Amino acid sequence: MLRIFHDTHYDFIKWWRAMAIATATFIIVGMGATLLRGGLRYSIDFTGGTLMQLAFQQKPDVAQLRAALDAGGVRDAEITQFGSDREFTVRAQDENASAGASTHGAESVARRVRDVLAQRFGASAFTVVRTEAVGPRVGSELRRGAIIAILVSFALTLIYLWFRFEWRFGLAAVIATAHDIFTTIAFIGLMHLEVSLTVIAAILTVIGYSLNDTIIIFDRVRENLRKHRGMPLYDLVNLSVNETLPRSVLTHATTLGATLALLLFAGEVIRPFAWVMAFGIFTGTFSSIYVASAILIWIERRYPRPAVDARRAPAARPAVRPDRTLAAS
Amino acid sequence: MNNLKSRLLVIGALILASLWALFPRTVVERVKRDGVFVTDTVRRVPLRRGLDLQGGMHLTLEVDESKGAIANKNDAVERALTVVRNRIDELGVSEPIVQKAGEDRILVELPGVDDPARAQAVVQKAAFLEFQITDKTQALERSLGKLDAVAAQRLPALAARTPATAGGAVAATTTPAGSTGASGGLGGLLTPGGDTAAKKTVADSAARAGKRTVAAGTSAGRDSARRDSATDTAAKLPTTKGAFSKAIISGRGPGEYVLTEADYLKLQPLLDLPEVQAAMPPGKVLRWGADTLVQGGQVYRTLYALDSRPIITGEYLTDARPASDPTEGNTVQFTLSREGGRRFQTETARHIKDFMAVVLDQRVITAPVIESAIGTNGQIRLGGGSLQAAQDLAIVLKAGALPVPLRVAETREVGPSLGRDSINKGIAAGVVAVLVVVVIMIAYYRFSGVLAVGGLALYVLYTLATLAGFNATLTLPGLAGFVLSIGIAVDANVLIFERIREELDTSKSVRTAIDEGFRHALPAIVDSNVSTALTALVLYSFGTGPVRGFAVTLLAGIAASMVTAIFVVRTFYLLWLSRARAPRALSI
Repeated sequence: MLRIFHDTHYDFIKWWRAMAIATATFIIVGMGATLLRGGLRYSIDFTGGTLMQLAFQQKPDVAQLRAALDAGGVRDAEITQFGSDREFTVRAQDENASAGASTHGAESVARRVRDVLAQRFGASAFTVVRTEAVGPRVGSELRRGAIIAILVSFALTLIYLWFRFEWRFGLAAVIATAHDIFTTIAFIGLMHLEVSLTVIAAILTVIGYSLNDTIIIFDRVRENLRKHRGMPLYDLVNLSVNETLPRSVLTHATTLGATLALLLFAGEVIRPFAWVMAFGIFTGTFSSIYVASAILIWIERRYPRPAVDARRAPAARPAVRPDRTLAAS
Repeated sequence: MNNLKSRLLVIGALILASLWALFPRTVVERVKRDGVFVTDTVRRVPLRRGLDLQGGMHLTLEVDESKGAIANKNDAVERALTVVRNRIDELGVSEPIVQKAGEDRILVELPGVDDPARAQAVVQKAAFLEFQITDKTQALERSLGKLDAVAAQRLPALAARTPATAGGAVAATTTPAGSTGASGGLGGLLTPGGDTAAKKTVADSAARAGKRTVAAGTSAGRDSARRDSATDTAAKLPTTKGAFSKAIISGRGPGEYVLTEADYLKLQPLLDLPEVQAAMPPGKVLRWGADTLVQGGQVYRTLYALDSRPIITGEYLTDARPASDPTEGNTVQFTLSREGGRRFQTETARHIKDFMAVVLDQRVITAPVIESAIGTNGQIRLGGGSLQAAQDLAIVLKAGALPVPLRVAETREVGPSLGRDSINKGIAAGVVAVLVVVVIMIAYYRFSGVLAVGGLALYVLYTLATLAGFNATLTLPGLAGFVLSIGIAVDANVLIFERIREELDTSKSVRTAIDEGFRHALPAIVDSNVSTALTALVLYSFGTGPVRGFAVTLLAGIAASMVTAIFVVRTFYLLWLSRARAPRALSI
């Protein structure tokens, strides 16, 4: 029987202060760097605009590319190499977007880019692999939709955990999840990843994954609360984290394996998603222990549970219990 | 034992159901072949690939209110939807999706479209309705000689060459009196030759032609296959001599003719050639009927010779509604504007007992006989037509009469090569992910790990089958989500195995340890999966397109992983326990 981290007794929670400082620093540095760079880089899903992915037959001169686009009236286009050195993405805003009157709407820029490049390089020199054009209104709606999605998922989680556990578990889990969102945003900023719909999907997956992890630990805490009555919550949480450690290590290993497979083999389009997921595995694990568990203990100190045991115990129980409580304290 | 048998039966049944759900089946679909649309049967695996995986175009259209607010937006969008759907059908795209999104949006998905500009133009243009009197002068019969000559000249060339859209300048020969320039230009949109007209409306030049060649080049493989078969059919045709006179059968009314579907497919590209329209006597045009007609197992199309000048256009139509009457049968009642009514009055008075063709976007919807002079209120009697048919006609008339200006709010196009590439890479990533997970599980849990891997195999099968069963679309993020879920799927197994180990540590018997392990792990598995499912549900309800696909995959994966981990792997254990009597040790 191969066993790792079996029967461990690490005092995880002891380090919560240091970890809190570490994660706060990470968030501040990440957010600061993002702000200095002028905020997150949103994809056209959210800003509106046009994105084209072009595959050239031969490696083109980027300066020429830019010159051709500028001359063709596609100004301030962002040209990025994408995948191989023959593939580029061109990102441009629709100047008339605000007018909103152009009948062809978001598509017209793509057409212009195509025509301009066909004129400059010849029509057979490149193929348009992908075009995305999003109008400004759709963009702002998608942005709102993403925020609503995150808030609603928070609310649902809180309600579910309240129902299945107790409000303090739910609150701790939601705060941990909020922490994950902040660290993930900091990470996205630091990595200069583009926030697209797919990345939002990744963030929500991270939320789900982190919650998963938190719930596994909380489930153990709930069980141990019944098993070891009277044990201080601090020790109880530590015990629970240690008991679930083998599972955590193994599941993180398999999930990380799958994520790395995505990162390495699934191609350029999915890479931002895979990066966010890879980071999410770490932050999700971290927050389950150092945010969710730590906050659970903090809440417990502030608002001691009136009589956790009494709540779950049959009514006859309290008569026997006073001396037991005494013994424990 | 009995319990075990029924468990195995359930698993077997699930496997069979999954295989059945995933078994390739024959699908009937409309495909564009040589510029015409034919019904074709194709074998395909019932897992729909999203546009980002197979290439194609996604359009979001929204009501354009920049030129004035639209009073009844919801109703207007509903009508626009019908028009858009009809037009998309005309494009001959297989498995298109046209649906309403939100309150003022229409979502269009066109897999494998190779000319997005045309698709967009077709979708976006206002529907155009005309009332034209059918020809009484035997114009077509008189022109048959000329038409046959044109056919003899052009058919071989057309058959050898590709899409009939190359037919040159067609331009609607019918610029209807009183219609605005914009709608006049739309005339030719729906017939394949109308491509040229469509291109004109979007005001384009030589650069466009160059680009179109490029677009065709990317899908060359698929196209050439179609082309070959098309050339085959053309080669099989005995002769092109007298193509028109042989094919055309007189219909029930003046100016109405019937052709078999095969002749229609052959002649349809010809009809839009300028020579053909020129061969007709001045002031007469040929138009196809919108519907096919099946009689005695044969499929027929109608062809109409019409007076090219419409007696009225859809501009004047203010309302149309279906009605049912015991004596009249099902009818469509329509109302015209005051000016339209005046015109209609004089025109219909001149044409009593003539047939009037209702032409929408150059297709004849129906050709009823005019029984009396009609003012602002008229009705079209449908003979034996059902109420459904009346409703449809009313919708089409209204849609033609009240076009909602639509604006493209969003387009996404993915070339077929990128889609194929994404699939290949996605599969590669999936295989690697499976291998990694298999190695970790077997190395760590030995025999039990093997059981888990068996469960994982079923997990993959069940998930794909669930996706197929719910007719979900597999998108690129969905594929990524699936790969990721392979890593997460074993979590339930891991939880259970760790519990079994704990139970074994307290020196319980193997059988009890397994039972207890499953029992204790269950709450954690349920709670964690339900909370993940909640996020997936949120993603589904707030997400669009690819993100939705991702959420669906995630949900299917959660369900499948719970079934395999809790039920299937448990059964494996029971099977093992039943073989080895009172096992001393469990390899875990």
